[in-house]
Amino acid sequence: MKKVNMYALSTCPWCRKTKKFFTDHNVPFSYIDYDLADEATQAKISAELDAAGVTGFPFVRIGDEIITGYQPERYSRALGI
Amino acid sequence: MNTESRKKALRYFFGKVVAPMGFKFTPDAELVDFLLEQEVILETKHGIPFCPCQPLRHDRARDMKIVCPCIPFHREHFDAIKRCWCGLFVHQDVIDPDSLPQLSPHEVGLE
Amino acid sequence: MSLILIACLNCRRTRWVLNKKFVQAIRADEVAPGGMRAVELDGHEIVVCNWSGKYFAIQRRCGHMNAPLDMGTLDGKFVTCAMHCAQFDVTTGEALSGPVPADFGGESPPPKITGYLEHIGMQMKHIRTESIGTYDTKVEAGWVLVEL
Repeated sequence: MKKVNMYALSTCPWCRKTKKFFTDHNVPFSYIDYDLADEATQAKISAELDAAGVTGFPFVRIGDEIITGYQPERYSRALGI
Repeated sequence: MNTESRKKALRYFFGKVVAPMGFKFTPDAELVDFLLEQEVILETKHGIPFCPCQPLRHDRARDMKIVCPCIPFHREHFDAIKRCWCGLFVHQDVIDPDSLPQLSPHEVGLE
Repeated sequence: MSLILIACLNCRRTRWVLNKKFVQAIRADEVAPGGMRAVELDGHEIVVCNWSGKYFAIQRRCGHMNAPLDMGTLDGKFVTCAMHCAQFDVTTGEALSGPVPADFGGESPPPKITGYLEHIGMQMKHIRTESIGTYDTKVEAGWVLVEL
């Protein structure tokens, strides 16, 4: 299975739904809650968002594909499930 | 400070701001309640009710663009998807907010 | 407000109670709907607010840093202080939100000013936004009366 990691916000309900999607489908994933991270991590993630040209969370990377916003159909397609 | 009182006040202020722009609170009452609660948390921490679903960049000019309601700063994008990013507000004609996917500007042909 | 001695007819004992009274504050037509006017009554600094034809009286001094609330704005039943934008419900006096952080326009102040600001900031960390006092009101013969 492709590697899945995401950037989330502890205040965002769509990020929670995204985490639940991966958990419910038994997809291993890693995540960082941006707002709870230290300054250095936030700066790193911020630079990554700018490089990808996106501003909203959830930010999900499945393999090489970046998906922003809660989009369960795209997650399923990207994961082949 | 009382969270429920603050949520009611935010409802009042935000409602007046978004109506002339063609938006209203989403009919999903549970989502409204949750998002307003998060905004009160953010306001208590930072002094400003930021969008609960967009990251703070710690750059005033950038962060001002995600102060709720942030519709004016993302007008084209939000009009295209008929909702704001976190979904607190939807177009006035929306009855089924669950039918509105959370699409990025790129996905609707913008930026 | 003063203390008066009253005799309780039930328990046959006397006790001191606050002698509250309504005093004329301002003519009702001098405070338009959505407006606020400051008055001083018997040493009390009070702001009379008109929310859609209903009159409310609050303490004049903001529960954050004492700025005069009549210099702020009244929107519905919510007053916003002009100084740092703390907000209060004029019907209950409840503090709804604290100050909004200042914007220095992205420029760094000179070093001496930075030191001063840090010193002030350290003390301001302990400042809380408290709810404000309210007074009962009534309208009689074209006057807004406030209970002191």
